[in-house]
Amino acid sequence: MSHRTAVWITGVGAATPLGHTYDTIADNLLAGRSGVRAVTRFDASEHPSQIAGQIEQVPCPPEWDAAEFSQLIRLEQLTLWCCITALRDSGWWERRREVRIGLALGVGAEWLITWEADGLQGGRRVYEPTSDSESLVHRVQRQLPISGPVISVSAACASGNYALAQARRWLELGWVDVCLAGACDGSVTPVALAGFGNLRALSRRNADPCHASRPFDKGRDGFVMGEGGSVFVLERADDARRRSARAYAQVAGCGASSDAHNMVIPSNDPEPATAAMRQALADAGIEPSAIDYINAHATSTPVGDAAEARVLQAILGAAVHKVPVSSTKSMTGHLLTAAAAVEALTCLIAMERRAVPPTINLDDPDPECDLCHVPNQARAQDVRVAVSNSFGFGGSNTCLVLQAV
Amino acid sequence: MKPTLEMAAPPGACAVSVDVAACGTVRVTADMLPALRQQPGGSLPAAFLKHTDDQTVAGLAAVYQAIQRGGLTDTSFTHWGVLAAPRFLGRSATASALHRFAAEGAWGISPHLIPHRSLHAISGTVSQALHIHGPNLGVGGGPNSVTEVLLAATALLDGGQVPGLWVVMTAWDPEPIPTPQGRVAPDSQCGAVALAVVPSRCDWHGLRIRLSPPLPLQPITPLEVPVTELTIFGLQQILAAVLENDTPSATVIWSLGSGGWIEFRRGGDADAPANSQRNGSVARNGSPHPPSSVPVRPRISSNLPESNGAGAENQR
Repeated sequence: MSHRTAVWITGVGAATPLGHTYDTIADNLLAGRSGVRAVTRFDASEHPSQIAGQIEQVPCPPEWDAAEFSQLIRLEQLTLWCCITALRDSGWWERRREVRIGLALGVGAEWLITWEADGLQGGRRVYEPTSDSESLVHRVQRQLPISGPVISVSAACASGNYALAQARRWLELGWVDVCLAGACDGSVTPVALAGFGNLRALSRRNADPCHASRPFDKGRDGFVMGEGGSVFVLERADDARRRSARAYAQVAGCGASSDAHNMVIPSNDPEPATAAMRQALADAGIEPSAIDYINAHATSTPVGDAAEARVLQAILGAAVHKVPVSSTKSMTGHLLTAAAAVEALTCLIAMERRAVPPTINLDDPDPECDLCHVPNQARAQDVRVAVSNSFGFGGSNTCLVLQAV
Repeated sequence: MKPTLEMAAPPGACAVSVDVAACGTVRVTADMLPALRQQPGGSLPAAFLKHTDDQTVAGLAAVYQAIQRGGLTDTSFTHWGVLAAPRFLGRSATASALHRFAAEGAWGISPHLIPHRSLHAISGTVSQALHIHGPNLGVGGGPNSVTEVLLAATALLDGGQVPGLWVVMTAWDPEPIPTPQGRVAPDSQCGAVALAVVPSRCDWHGLRIRLSPPLPLQPITPLEVPVTELTIFGLQQILAAVLENDTPSATVIWSLGSGGWIEFRRGGDADAPANSQRNGSVARNGSPHPPSSVPVRPRISSNLPESNGAGAENQR
């Protein structure tokens, strides 16, 4: 079903293992640099996986007291930085009180992260329910301030795409004038790293962090955790045109489905994920052959990457060896709840820089993942239609289609 | 370039209605949960719920109850979606995890912690139980989970991509204090509400939920008026009040706090088309006034300020 109102992305804010500004992130992505290192923020020597895509320090927005900001948990720092930067980038920061600005934010484990951070510092918040009086999105709403509706959403790795879809819908309905949408995750923590490690989902290539995240490569052995976030400003195209706003891209199509198979293992049946891609392309009115670039979900797990390859082969058909596909998780690590949002940013970069970022560490492509790879080096390419897949724990499959304006 | 305020004439903010095809409510004490985990009311593989959170068990039980009560046992939910809104999911499991981490280090952390205590855990589990291949999404997770999920659900359903949605809301009442081993007092109560919501129809006389957003381009002072949280237990009371009240047009109105509101009422009002634009006014304090163009219906209760003629039953 096509939507009634075109919605554009007019502002971006991000913090990633590859940088915290659009240009820095773009430069590092296209240079094929890895942001994966040994974990340094805590002692990971007893963890199965000891590497991650970390952020040394989240920049403090100029409006915030630096000492106060440093006391916030990482998730909240990321959210504030990304939201404020996006509003500034769009030109709405100074005018935010004059329009209804909503917020749809992908946040997968806010309370687990909060209780863990407090507990590891000797606090007892997990035992004190009265301390938990306000959620992150409501606190951000109050602090910025913004006056539209706010929600937290989670579909694991697919969260950011759901947030963008929800924001687009609110704009179509006229529920907001402007909407912040994206996702943040600060889960590179002792307990979370241990949990994923004990699930045997993580790479154990601890001696060689930069080469550990190897989507589609025969030698892949699991994903590498990352932290960060990306938030976008969305507004109706007519409004953006009227104020001569910079438009990054149109949110042209969204598709979503569920495997209904297993909480952590993707289904062998490619049909549900394929359905999500078909839905997004139909929503955008785009044929598969018109796609210029696909940012794959591919996390560097043996099962997941091959499953996605089957989906892409089903969708692209004869074009499978023409449409370039890359997984930028090879450079950032897997940002979990923030993955879809950061990968949407990657698509915007590909459009703006007219270059497709690479899958690094792709030295020996798995024959089960027979796609038009972009191994190790970026490729110059006009990108007018970019597709980003994100498939999450819980069986969520999402696809986002972005179109140049 | 500095933006101007010359916005295009915005679309009228659309109120969205959805109809509730079935409703299930569960309220059990902690010591009843093990039995419910074994048999939540539907046909499931053995040990399907073994590692799930207690709120997941209650939520799924509420879904099965709704299916039975609503006569939906022969309905295929393949193309439906599911949105689930827990409240502080995983508190006791996190207490246990922190305790074990302190004692045993990384190896003491269960691999089931993250998949089954993340915000999307309940929606993912329900999608598997009912073979739902539409969207599955966790919403909220803390205070105001109920209003957040109703916002998300009405917008999603109105988009026309799914024929129906399960909206599953869960919480403890009161929020229990766990032991370091992750146990809660046996008399702690865990509740769930499951709603099968479908696009609104003119001939529907059952429960209807209508969400009205804040108006465009009105000067809004954000959140000067504190908003009472709509909990699932409050929602259970509201649903009972609307469904049991003899007045066909009985309505409960709940402020969203950002200038919009939710109405719970019976369908079938000819004067209120299912999805429509509206005109109204916004009070200077940010609380909405119900639109004057809509006839005043008898209200069972409301959490809107007294100046709107609302009752104070839901204030805390």
